Amino acid sequence: MTVPLQGLPALMGRPYKYIRLEWSSELAALRVRTCVKPIQCYSLAAMAELQRVFSDISDNEGLVKHFVMTSDVAGVFNFGGDLSLFVLLIRARDLDSLRMYGRRCVDLVWWMETAPLRGVHTTVLVQGDTLGGGLESVMPFHKVIFERSAQAGFPEVLFNLFPGMGAWHFTIRKAGFTVANEMILSGRLYTAEQLYRRSLVDLVVDDGEGEAAIEQVLRSVSPRLRGTLAALQARRFATPITYESLMQVVDHWTETAMTLTDRDLRLMERLARAQVRKAGGADEGAVEEIKRLELDTAWGEERSGNTGWGDEIGTGVTAWGALQN
Amino acid sequence: MLPFFADLVIRTDEARRAFETNPVVLDAVANGMPIERYRKLLLELYHVVWHFNPVCAAAASRIEDSHRQIRYHLYEHMQEESGHEEWVMNDLEAVGVQRSDTLAHTASPFTLALNGYNYWAADRRHPCSVLGMLYALEVIASVYGGPFASAIKESLLLEGEQGISFIGSHATMDALHMAELRKVLDTVRDKAARDAVVESVLMNFHHFTCMFETV
Repeated sequence: MTVPLQGLPALMGRPYKYIRLEWSSELAALRVRTCVKPIQCYSLAAMAELQRVFSDISDNEGLVKHFVMTSDVAGVFNFGGDLSLFVLLIRARDLDSLRMYGRRCVDLVWWMETAPLRGVHTTVLVQGDTLGGGLESVMPFHKVIFERSAQAGFPEVLFNLFPGMGAWHFTIRKAGFTVANEMILSGRLYTAEQLYRRSLVDLVVDDGEGEAAIEQVLRSVSPRLRGTLAALQARRFATPITYESLMQVVDHWTETAMTLTDRDLRLMERLARAQVRKAGGADEGAVEEIKRLELDTAWGEERSGNTGWGDEIGTGVTAWGALQN
Repeated sequence: MLPFFADLVIRTDEARRAFETNPVVLDAVANGMPIERYRKLLLELYHVVWHFNPVCAAAASRIEDSHRQIRYHLYEHMQEESGHEEWVMNDLEAVGVQRSDTLAHTASPFTLALNGYNYWAADRRHPCSVLGMLYALEVIASVYGGPFASAIKESLLLEGEQGISFIGSHATMDALHMAELRKVLDTVRDKAARDAVVESVLMNFHHFTCMFETV
């Protein structure tokens, strides 16, 4: 009879393909380094591995006090959903499978949201681009650290979709309704600094300083971990996010995805192709492709007068910046 | 019980991703390829297309009456695919390969392995395995065919549909086929047939990736 592994051996002993685990016994910190190479996105297999890690943490209550996530892919934190899989399922008119994919994403988000109940504080370091579902996966972390050159946004509206795995809930909670509206409905990209100003990022550090920042966060939280987690749990009571409402949104997302036209899917493919180019070593990738798509949108905004935050004109990141440069 | 299409997507997703993220495929989808390599690819594809209907016929003739819906699906599909090797030949002519050269071309070992497996699977493994071939080829065409056709068009400065009519049109057509294929796959209930389809998808992605690499 095989005795199931428990404790640290169970946590660290599993073979993973798309993530690497590191353990710090001093801080009881588990670090997950994601490496879905060459296109870093939330593939089904990568999500299954993350879910396994979460289950192991839950099954060994009290063992992990800090959960940290970083990316091992240079220049990319996460491109979000598996766009090729979306295209496949939408073309196959497979509502059930797409819903299942979305619900699996929400299950991961929900684990992060309920981490304080398991005695776990969560920290994420973003070095590089994080788009759509990639940014959504960052939002539920208790401490969000961005290196200065990192860029992020919700580009889904550019191909007639919206981010459906917690973007609304967590952006509203952290930054308010106006910012959520602006970010989700514009499809724009934001610098680390712009996200910090909108309260979506807790700490911006210079490139290369992210590791030290993680260490600093963990060491500052550790002595007051119980109080911090109690406060974060109280925050949940104050600004409740329910599993049911997350599921409601993801179901709506699935139904909306099924209405995408061939033109929308071609735009999605354009982004997927740009991701592929970057993975192949090109200087330009999905971020640059989104900027090009933003330009098209910007012409419409110029006519409507809705040009975003005035002080960001000319930064090269907003649609206006792209227009003026 | 999970509908079989959903089960199939999950069980073969890593193979699909392995095809998608193969460095040669990545580069081809992102940047296209030189004309000499594109000619070689079309020559290999000619053999895949030429043997597609005979494989379907071999499977259809062996499928039991209990799976008659699959047999009907194959009949319709064969009707639609009939003559498509001519499209490949036309594309080859557009990029400078004469018909006589196409007909004289010997397929690479990987293409022979791809076709050989599909005949063998229809005959000896399980006739329903043919659905695995359909799934893999339609995923490749409908998900990656469009971006690949655009990349080829840009890199070779081709005009209109010249030289990419086969890949370009299948990217659109197979999008419709995917929805039909999902419906027929969801009717497959017995384990042996399901396992055979899964194996066939894995083998087709593997051989197709190898074929792509050799060009």
